[in-house]
Amino acid sequence: MTIKIEVIAAPGCRKCASAQGELRAIAASVLGEDRLVWREVSVLEELDYAVSLGVLSMPAIAVNGELRFSSLPTPEQFRTMLTTLASC
Amino acid sequence: MYTIGKVATLAGVSPDTLRYYEKERLITPASKTAAGYRLYNDEAVRRIRFIKTAQHCGFSLSDIQELLTLKQAESACCEDVRSLAIEKKLHIEHKLRALQAMSRALDDLIQGCEGGEAATDDCPILAALENSLHEVSL
Repeated sequence: MTIKIEVIAAPGCRKCASAQGELRAIAASVLGEDRLVWREVSVLEELDYAVSLGVLSMPAIAVNGELRFSSLPTPEQFRTMLTTLASC
Repeated sequence: MYTIGKVATLAGVSPDTLRYYEKERLITPASKTAAGYRLYNDEAVRRIRFIKTAQHCGFSLSDIQELLTLKQAESACCEDVRSLAIEKKLHIEHKLRALQAMSRALDDLIQGCEGGEAATDDCPILAALENSLHEVSL
């Protein structure tokens, strides 16, 4: 079963861009590339979707359509969440 | 230099509002007279107008404090301000959706009631609200 991870951020956000690479690498190592669907969502282009997820701050991270982090998690927090998810 | 009354008139706010802004550390008088009266300069007028415009866009006084800090911080850039504006827009969009849901709920209630001069005991709107209270307490 694939796991969809969406990073909802503002286009041009340097803080978001630098963190995304690291978080994506963690996701790929925990889940494996074949199980991972990674999507970067521009909050301005998909505002309705961001609002429907409950995003109030950026960058936010949704997993399988559910908001999991309303601000940038530490690599450890992100890894822990993925490990729990992968073991379910 | 302007007195509090004069600067309030120039910026379109009340003197009480200015005292409140001062309490919230959004503005400070440039100086005080020997008798202790506050005196403001042109920069204060610009700052008060900035605060009013930002409030008009939905920013809270706390947000405005952050915007003013960013405005003066050498390490901050336009992107930081833009992020704050986007987050404010997200908050407003959430509120809009909540208000739309309330409006739809009111539509349902209004459609279920024909009005008229029936006693309030028979009013479908009051009954629906009463029933929903029962549902909540069950």
